[in-house]
Amino acid sequence: MNQSFEIAHMCESILSKIATDFVGLALQNREGPDVRWHYAAGNSNDKYKKITVRYGKGIAGKVISTGSPITVNNFPDNIYGKALEYPIMLAEKLLYAYAVPIFYKGAPKGVLLVGRRTNKPINEGEQNIVRQAALSLEGMISGLF
Amino acid sequence: MERQPDKNEISSYIIQSQEEEIKRIALELHEGVGQTLYSLYTGMQFIGNAVEQDEMKGYVSDMAELLEKTIQEIRLLAVELHPPTLTTLGLLPAMKSYLKLYTSTYGIEVELETSGKEVPLEERQRITLFRVCQEALANIARYADTVKAEMTFTWQFDHLSIIIKDKGRGFDKDKGWHQSTGLAAMRERMHLIGGEWHLSTKIGEGTVVELYLPFI
Ligand SMILES: Nc1ncnc2c1ncn2[C@@H]1O[C@H](COP(=O)(O)OP(=O)(O)O)[C@@H](O)[C@H]1O
Ligand SMILES: [Mg+2]
Repeated sequence: MNQSFEIAHMCESILSKIATDFVGLALQNREGPDVRWHYAAGNSNDKYKKITVRYGKGIAGKVISTGSPITVNNFPDNIYGKALEYPIMLAEKLLYAYAVPIFYKGAPKGVLLVGRRTNKPINEGEQNIVRQAALSLEGMISGLF
Repeated sequence: MERQPDKNEISSYIIQSQEEEIKRIALELHEGVGQTLYSLYTGMQFIGNAVEQDEMKGYVSDMAELLEKTIQEIRLLAVELHPPTLTTLGLLPAMKSYLKLYTSTYGIEVELETSGKEVPLEERQRITLFRVCQEALANIARYADTVKAEMTFTWQFDHLSIIIKDKGRGFDKDKGWHQSTGLAAMRERMHLIGGEWHLSTKIGEGTVVELYLPFI
């Protein structure tokens, strides 16, 4: 099976496994440092395709710069920085998001983000599913680099 | 009796000194910090080529990549704060480079139309127009819920008009006006350079912001 098809399928399956509104996968480009949203499920428009994630900014940028998971609750309350620094939350009108890093050769090269348009956090078990999915994606993306 | 500075003069003064600070920071990021990091980056590449050990090579290349990302973000930050072209080339080139950054940050396409010949403006006017456009575009990214916007620059012999239009969700103007200070600040800044600011909006249809600057 084709790699990108498998990856898209993975995003769709997360959407069905846990009741979430949006799933997005951002990956660093093969050439250069740009990180872009390559796959999405549950998206309400195509803005994600045009967005380049800015390093250290917003939820995806911070997951990549820190290499750790980030949760945003009741956006834009209590966020670090300005609401405008969270383009994917704005583009998809998300109120809740949980994002985990995807590593390649020990360095964070991508982000798997699940989000909701209501402020309803996902539970421990669901977070586990997302982290597991990120691990499987790590295996799949190796062919992309 | 000594003349007291009026409220407008004070607002102008505060805005201007703030803008000078922003410009200084942007320049420092771009020319100072950015340049230094770039030297480090080229040095790192040099080391990477010289190193033989594979593990070390990978480590150096990771560091070089980290520097590359940081340099890029610093450049973008400088463009947001005060594009270098705003001082050197003028309003339109600065707006164009900002629009590129805007689209790649928010995923919103902005169609830019211009007519007439660009008239060189005072720096204070350029900065104000740039900031007001930035604010209108920021509102679109944040509230309009749309994938595209339109911007029109019309240069006439006696005035410049700029229209920023979205076909997004629109809003209740009275409510919006009292909700925050962004709209009032746009209008105030236009008045301070002798210009005008108009906003019309309709729920479900979108929003139009019009800037008008007479040349006197
Ligand atoms: N282009 C737009 N589309 C939809 N709503 C808008 C737009 N511009 C402004 N608004 C509404 O007007 C309110 C006030 O805008 P502004 O004064 O710029 O405040 P803010 O600090 O929230 O950006 C916003 O909270 C939003 O509800
Ligand atoms: Mg605003």
